[in-house]
Parts: sequence; C-alpha cells; structure tokens
Amino acid sequence: MINIVLVSHGDLGDALIRATEMIVGPTERIFSVPLLPNESPEGFGEKLAVALQDIKGEETLILIDLFGGTPYNVAARQVLKGNVECVTGVNLPMLLELVMSRDGASLPELAETITQSGREAIKNLGPMLNK
Amino acid sequence: MNVIEELGLVRIDDRLIHGQVIAVWCKHQPFTRIVIVDDGVAADPFMQEVLRLAAPPGLQVDVFSVEEGIKALNQSTPDRGTTMVLLKSPQAAKRLYDGGVQYNALNVGGIGSAPGRKNIFKNISASEEEIAILKYLMDRGVEITLLTVPGEKSRSFSDLVGKL
Repeated sequence: MINIVLVSHGDLGDALIRATEMIVGPTERIFSVPLLPNESPEGFGEKLAVALQDIKGEETLILIDLFGGTPYNVAARQVLKGNVECVTGVNLPMLLELVMSRDGASLPELAETITQSGREAIKNLGPMLNK
Repeated sequence: MNVIEELGLVRIDDRLIHGQVIAVWCKHQPFTRIVIVDDGVAADPFMQEVLRLAAPPGLQVDVFSVEEGIKALNQSTPDRGTTMVLLKSPQAAKRLYDGGVQYNALNVGGIGSAPGRKNIFKNISASEEEIAILKYLMDRGVEITLLTVPGEKSRSFSDLVGKL
C-alpha cells in the first residue's frame, strides 16, 4: 500500500487525517509531519527525515499544504527519489480520493489524479445555484 | 564618492522565501527582485529551482554565495530600492556588512529555535554569538528591527538588547 505523508503548517495535517476518518472510517499508513511555529527549517527537515526513515524504500505520496511555504521548501527535494511523489495544496477531497483509490493505481498516476480532483472539488456556489 | 541607493530591505529569515515573504511583504512593498545570499543555497541548484518555482511571476530571484553577493550588491543597479536581500543568519549579515555592503537597516524576520539558541522575540531565537553579532551591527549604526511581517508587533533590537 502506498504511504501518505502530510507536511503542513501546524495541526492542519493531523486535522485533515481526522476529518478523513470521520468520513471513511479508520485509515492506515497515513502520517503527519507538522511544522511548529518556532521550528527552524533544519529542525523540520530532520523530523521529516525521521518520519520517512520508517517507510524507507516504500512508495510514498507526500502531500504539502502550501506551494511556496516552508513545508514545501523542505519536502520538495524528496520528489527526486524514484518512489516518492509530492503534491501541493492538499485539501480534504484530495485526501478522500486518495485513501479510497490508492490500491491499484501507480504512484505517478495517483499523484496526477488527485492533483486534478483537488482542483475540480473547488466550487463557487453562487453562480452554480443561480444566486 | 559614488553614493549607492539604499536596498529595499535586508532581512534575516532562515526560511528564506516562504508564505510570509511572498503573501505579506511583497504585497506591502513593491519588490521586483529577491536576492538570496547564502553559501548553502548557492551550491544547491535543486534548492534554487524549488525557491524560484514558487516565486510569483515578475519577481526576479537571484542566488549568490556571500562572496558573490558582496560584489553583486555593491553595484548601483536601478532596482536596488525594490530589492529584498534574504539571509539565513546574523553571521551572513555580518559577512555581507564587513565585505562592504553597508546597509543602514536590518529586519530580523525569523530564526528558528535550535540547541544553544534562546527565544528573544516571537519566532526569533538567537545564540549568544548571534546576539553579539547583532550588537556589533547596531554599534555601527545599523537600525535593527525584529518584525515577522508588516502590521505585526515589532521590536527594536536596541530596546531589547539590555534585557538579553
């Protein structure tokens, strides 16, 4: 099974996991590495390295909260590994799609699929409901 | 003597380009160029690509080692007033200053906690050596302000230094 690692500002990653489990029930192989307010990029990088050590060699999808933020700056290098993909701008619809479809698809396919579905899930309701 | 225009902002922030710099500073002040002066990033082309990729279109990002930065920033260029210089540490700020880039003001925007460092203001930590370096710059007339982003509470280093 493909591992999912959320890297985020503060508690966002943990909260997204809890919200996902509210909808689909308990999940496996999903981890969160939070950047804390006073943490240096180096300290955060070490924490991420420790988290990834446990899943060394296994396929992993890293979900980053903000393109251009510190979690992105620190985690982006992981994409150079053959068995790792990184996607930024993580939202709940992406995570839901991922936990439900991660068996069967290849890692690069999965990264592309959730990148699209994350975008499609964003709706401006006013015009859609003829406000 | 040729007077060189003041740089737009000289900032110490160990996160370099990140959300606060792009989302808040670049909306507050019309920067056109970010100059990262850091030996590590200058030797790391992949990290340079990661940082450039996330910069908004129209914002030029240059990366120099300290030695190269001293040369580049000592030149009078038309965009000096809209240039943000980003440094990771007080050590780099001192090397730049001693190398001849004599800025009048320094913004300390973020230094993460680490062993040997104590928290001095908000998200800013510093070791004894780093505090001594900031004093050194202050004594030479550099106005040092501790400020994460415009609009937040700021603190002048000269007010703080007696309490450290």
